[in-house]
Amino acid sequence: MDNALPTGKLSRGKVVGKALLKIGAKKTKRFVTGGDKEQNHAEIADIIFDSLGELKGMSVKIAQQVALGMPFLPPAYLERISKSFNAIPSINKALVRKIIKTELGVYPQDAFDTFEMKAFAAASLGQVHLATKDGKQLAVKVQYPGIKKSIESDMSLIHFGMKRFAKGQNVDHIIGEIEARLYEEVDYVLEAKNCDFFREKLQINNIVIPEVYHDLSSEKVLTTSYLEGLDFDSYLLSSPSQESRDAYAQLIFDSFFYALYNLKSIHADPNPGNFLFMQGGKLGLIDFGCVKKVDEDFLQMYNQLHLNLLEDNDHISIIQQYIKLGMIEEESEEKMLKFYTEVIKPLDTLYKEPLIGDNYNFKENPDFAKRGFKMIFKVQQKQFHSVHKLNEQFLFINRTLLGYYALFEKMGAKIETGYVKDLMRKQQIL
Amino acid sequence: MKITQSAKEKTKIKILQSAVDLIIEKGFDNASLREMAKNAGVSNPTIYNYFPSKEKLLYAYIEQKHKEAVATIQEIEDFHTYTLREQLQTLIETELELYLEDREFIIQIADMVFHSSGLKMGKLYETNALFIETVDEMLNISIEAGEIQEPPFREHLPKLFWDYYIMVVAYWVKDDSEMFENTTQFIDHSLGLADAVLHSDILSKASDLGMFFFKTHMLNSLQNFASKKDSFDLIKRKLGEVLHG
Repeated sequence: MDNALPTGKLSRGKVVGKALLKIGAKKTKRFVTGGDKEQNHAEIADIIFDSLGELKGMSVKIAQQVALGMPFLPPAYLERISKSFNAIPSINKALVRKIIKTELGVYPQDAFDTFEMKAFAAASLGQVHLATKDGKQLAVKVQYPGIKKSIESDMSLIHFGMKRFAKGQNVDHIIGEIEARLYEEVDYVLEAKNCDFFREKLQINNIVIPEVYHDLSSEKVLTTSYLEGLDFDSYLLSSPSQESRDAYAQLIFDSFFYALYNLKSIHADPNPGNFLFMQGGKLGLIDFGCVKKVDEDFLQMYNQLHLNLLEDNDHISIIQQYIKLGMIEEESEEKMLKFYTEVIKPLDTLYKEPLIGDNYNFKENPDFAKRGFKMIFKVQQKQFHSVHKLNEQFLFINRTLLGYYALFEKMGAKIETGYVKDLMRKQQIL
Repeated sequence: MKITQSAKEKTKIKILQSAVDLIIEKGFDNASLREMAKNAGVSNPTIYNYFPSKEKLLYAYIEQKHKEAVATIQEIEDFHTYTLREQLQTLIETELELYLEDREFIIQIADMVFHSSGLKMGKLYETNALFIETVDEMLNISIEAGEIQEPPFREHLPKLFWDYYIMVVAYWVKDDSEMFENTTQFIDHSLGLADAVLHSDILSKASDLGMFFFKTHMLNSLQNFASKKDSFDLIKRKLGEVLHG
């Protein structure tokens, strides 16, 4: 009833199959009636995510990952995906008890001084409970059983379905990447490590990272100190001052680049649910399920490229750098130029736009994210027949950044670029 | 010297545990009551006094686990805030949790029940009084609180739930998934289904249908049958056994 998950590959297959059938019907309808394309996309997106919703659990996460990994999907899909954030199935009281006992060896009432059986938040593939121990408030994240096992069967179904949407594009490597990331995300031991790492290293004023309680954590239970604050939507609803919006956007922006350049790691999930807007202008970072490491050589080249882009260097030297980064394949100059101007340039123009001046006001550019997603979609369509595989690290960083820019736009915030450009220049000297 | 009830209980538990250990080590057939007594530090007459046979010991074990499960549940402070489904799920999960360290032993029992004629299913039913009473109470409270409507066949539901529980144990015995999480999911999903049925009108619709057939078709043939009085009584008795266990 409320949260019965369809189990087994067969029943999942049926749900996906049913969705594909419905999509087939929609496509036929459009063919017959001519119909509004954007509206059809919206309808199809509804069908897909309704069926993913039926699958629940993993699928919500997969839907999010697909959105991140396949920005060529039409905006209607992406919008529908953002609605599925936090729609994780609930774990009832009996199950919470069971999971805690299995994972920590004792029942909740013995592991903690107090334990709220009702979850206060949804989290990646689980839910979060408030608890106390030795006078400290704790957040206990609990994972639904069997999630890890269902990744494989779910992904093979999604693969099957997505191939039809990607219209001949090679989605295998994207699916592979998503699958690997999902396995990482269900591993709370890894997340605890990442959380420790950022807590120790991300020394930025006003950034708060919770403390992990390792003796109360396992692969499927993660206990950290509890941070009190507003989630993204509640924060915006509280009609914060312009000053506060700007300060938070700046903090997110600066710490992203600080982590990229100084820690060679990024918190790569631009889901607004990962931020907590706390008292006194502090920002809580709370979900470390999606951390991406970046290698040194790549970072040097990436940085050099972006500095040159900001200086508007000539196309030929820019193209040479893209070749080194594995974003452009070496072939005749004419072909490379065409590929650069048609596929890559629209993208890098977009990414560098906020970085050009000393500051960038998202309030004055309220269509930035929309333009961005449209651009990516167009580029992906042009790239249609190309089998060239783009550098994953590169895509990942820029994808995340674009996600953050979309948040800044929602906040109507203005950011200063001075600190970040300093970081970039320092990196160059290294 | 008079032995107190609690001392008696302690001895019983001690014997049970050493019996379980020995059966895990040697198998049910090769484990003797004599050796169990020795391991538990009691005399031979004492163990026979508690358990006249090895079979009796098995039943006592199951009853003991019911007792422990109910005691564990009673420790949950806010148990009254659990939904009926959550309460039933907690009962089953708690029993399985208690079985966990004796899993090898449970596998042997299950094998004797399901695959050889070593133990009769019917005998197991004699051990379920506390379990059924507990489920019955959960149901009563739920109905009284208006969480669910009084379902048809209300009085048979606790026994039905026991059958379901046996099925879960049989599944758990064969479960080779990590931390038996397949069983956890099986319980979660199947109880979700049962919960949906209890919250819907399906049971009463089914009983309407049943009554319709019974009244219009069965009653006639039964009346025919009833003219032969002896066999009608026999059927009634059989029917009663089926319905009331």
